[in-house]
Amino acid sequence: MNCDEAQELITALVDQELRDPERSSLEVHLTECTRCRWAREEERALKQAIRRAGQGILMPDELRERILSNPLIFPAKSRPARRWRDYIWPMPHMLRPALTIALILAFTLPTLYWFKKRSEPIAFAALQTYDLFLRGELPVRRAENSNEIEAQLTSAVGGRFHPMGYDLTAMNLRPVAGFVREIDGRKVLVAIYQGQGGTLFCYTFSGSEKDAPPNAARFFDAAKKINFYAFSRDGVNAVFHREGEVICILASEMPMDELLALAKSKAKPS
Amino acid sequence: MADNRETTEEKGEFSREAISHLDHLYRVARYLVEEPDEAHDVVQETYLRALDSYEQFRPGSNMKAWLSRILYNFFFDHYRQKKRWILIDDSSKDEEYSDYWEKVPTENPGPESHLLANELTTKVTDALRKIPQEFRSAIVMVDMGDFSYAEAAEILSCPVGTIRSRLSRGRRLLHKHLKDYIAFRKDRD
Repeated sequence: MNCDEAQELITALVDQELRDPERSSLEVHLTECTRCRWAREEERALKQAIRRAGQGILMPDELRERILSNPLIFPAKSRPARRWRDYIWPMPHMLRPALTIALILAFTLPTLYWFKKRSEPIAFAALQTYDLFLRGELPVRRAENSNEIEAQLTSAVGGRFHPMGYDLTAMNLRPVAGFVREIDGRKVLVAIYQGQGGTLFCYTFSGSEKDAPPNAARFFDAAKKINFYAFSRDGVNAVFHREGEVICILASEMPMDELLALAKSKAKPS
Repeated sequence: MADNRETTEEKGEFSREAISHLDHLYRVARYLVEEPDEAHDVVQETYLRALDSYEQFRPGSNMKAWLSRILYNFFFDHYRQKKRWILIDDSSKDEEYSDYWEKVPTENPGPESHLLANELTTKVTDALRKIPQEFRSAIVMVDMGDFSYAEAAEILSCPVGTIRSRLSRGRRLLHKHLKDYIAFRKDRD
């Protein structure tokens, strides 16, 4: 084998695509030829440089959001938003015992369901409460104001972290209730916002970006240096981000691009 | 009714998985077409075409390769015919083989395989734009996309041997443009 014949084989060797007998022939040549050994190292360095350069090219957020706002990707649900009062005491006095039994079942069954599904990512498991709430199967405690909700939720985790406490009045949403859900031994604080703007859940729990669903679409906000992860389940859109050691998930049936913009506007750099 | 819902859910699941490959698709598009806006169009069109034909995708197979094939076919059909290619530095063609071996550095240039990080993306991008598109496509698929030769051959619709040949020739051309930025340690020998 001469050096000209070795050129293309060196390329395949660097790419780990060279098999015998070509590989054996080339290896014999490389033991004898310094120039070809240098060429092999040069090509390895070049390949590494090209790879690194490629990693520096990311799709602009503008394009990603344009694709993400396509209703084919994250279809909106047509189900109308309902108010929390509709679920709490929707029946006359005589039917309240039946409602009480239904509430007990509603509390028990989801707990059993979560127990069975505990291997699911916490972000997905948390999102199930949204649908249960809209179906009236999730008992929640009403609160008079946002301070009360925040105090209740913070107390539930011994003050280790707080719910995000976002002010969403500009979107015609106000906090109406809060509850704590334990998923795989981790406490998730849930604040429910409702109003003319629909329904929005804000989940808060201690965690890391590893808790983001594996198939979520990631958006990096260069200004705030925060990763946002968009995902969807059963028509409910969600955006996950991390602030320090606390994870926040906003979930709603509003279009994904609007929800992402909301999360970005409210997120605070760690 | 149930079938329709199932189909919608499958399509939604497919589309969300495909989103994780958008950076790769954009990277490929940026190196194939001349203007960033055209890369946007190529990626969007690729995505819509993939959604339209998602039933042809075999679950469990390589979605990234499948999407890349759609992108390349779209580029090939629409951009190549319009000759809106990235301009090629023709002066490099005559020198392709002439001095590669002679210009391999003869002195130890320093730390192994290092590049000036801040200039890396710009220099490699500029250099890639100066080599013929056939070589560039093979390099982008294998070196940036991490595709095997067989996968790259399927995406670019050519034999595996052609991929190897294009990579070898393309990298030699690239080396000429980047030799001042790439170094390696020879004293390992």
